[in-house]
Amino acid sequence: MGDNALELTVDKFRFRFPADLFYSEAGIWARFEGSRARIGLSDFMQQRNGDVAFAEMKDVGTVIQRGDEVAVVETIKVNISVPSPVGGKVVVVNGDLAAAAELVNQDPYGKGWLAVLEVGDVAAAKASLKIAAEYLALAKVQAEAEALR
Amino acid sequence: MSGSKRKIPVVACSGIGKSLGAAAREAGFILTEDLRPGKTKIVALGLLVLGDEEARREVAGGPAIAIDGCKLACAAAGLGCSGAADVRKVAVFDVVRRHRGLKPEGVCDLNEDGLKLARAAAEEGAKIVDGIGAEDGHA
Amino acid sequence: MPDLPKKKVGLISCSGEELPEGTVTRRAVRKVLETLRPDDTVTLCLPLFLAGGEGERAFARHYPTIAVDGCEKRCAALATEKYSAKPAASIVVTEIAKECGCGAIGTTRRLNAEGLRLADEVAGKIMEETDQLLKKKRKDSDKESGPGKP
Repeated sequence: MGDNALELTVDKFRFRFPADLFYSEAGIWARFEGSRARIGLSDFMQQRNGDVAFAEMKDVGTVIQRGDEVAVVETIKVNISVPSPVGGKVVVVNGDLAAAAELVNQDPYGKGWLAVLEVGDVAAAKASLKIAAEYLALAKVQAEAEALR
Repeated sequence: MSGSKRKIPVVACSGIGKSLGAAAREAGFILTEDLRPGKTKIVALGLLVLGDEEARREVAGGPAIAIDGCKLACAAAGLGCSGAADVRKVAVFDVVRRHRGLKPEGVCDLNEDGLKLARAAAEEGAKIVDGIGAEDGHA
Repeated sequence: MPDLPKKKVGLISCSGEELPEGTVTRRAVRKVLETLRPDDTVTLCLPLFLAGGEGERAFARHYPTIAVDGCEKRCAALATEKYSAKPAASIVVTEIAKECGCGAIGTTRRLNAEGLRLADEVAGKIMEETDQLLKKKRKDSDKESGPGKP
């Protein structure tokens, strides 16, 4: 993962959005790796929702549509149903999160990934998502409106 | 010759932004005032890190307990850079993982789940105190 | 310098486990943050600030801060100055307690009615300082933007 990330600062909070990723409106990132997509919570989502205590992904082999729940992330504050940014079959889930769910907070774009899906049509999947600059603009509006504390 | 035994210093993170910080703070009070009152003493993190001599004296010369609300572990870090050689840790966040379903809320006034969490964390601290006592040969 | 679209004041409170006045600072700061001036303030976490939290320290470099301390040791004020910049205002609870003639305020764990009253007084003082700082900031930005309006 390169270090080419856009940054947004709101009050004391700084959010990063790597430029090589795609993002859904719900704040889930996708990194396309050939015909597969690795997904996770954006930095904005993990900061907004608090410390992750548990992360449970759909089983390997599960076929889901874009927008279907692919994981449930339980933080100190809330339980988040994570909508998949892409449709496809779950082929790998991040087993490290069972013992160290805090990786989602500590390294949301790296070790804190949630799952990998085999995607049917990568071009169509990309077209339905936002690039970093577009998602940053959306996150900015949300962050300023919520006055994160 | 003075017979007073060293009290184990307890430093809680007391983070004001999250309920876990409040739970850590409350756990510090429960431990030092309710569970092991004669054997422990709370020390303010701010004083310690800023070099207050009395605070530094309290943590020197033996084990200290850090009670941290989150993985950032500010109390443990503060103790480590303030001359404490032997820092034993209570991670409230890990206590949360062992008590699934608790949703602590509030910072000034913890909700019931927050108080339960604080109590559970304090009890872990009490076990550490007892362990230190056993190491020293004083049950 | 980061893009700072809205001026806010950072409130940094001592951790205050050793004195009931420390508990007063926390309650007062949370009251300002949650109720009195929620759009104008953020809290800076002192433990994180001390441990090297870059978000907290960067904020305190670029925004005005109010340090709220339980006693004259002024941990919050000293830490802010040491790691970022001198706070724009420094409030000490023991001084306010003297001014408003407070009696015993309870314990570090549980403030009594007098302690809660003191927390409200301190919150009021923080609010006044916040308003003062933001008024100054608004005046400065009015000057920068061109011929002033009355």
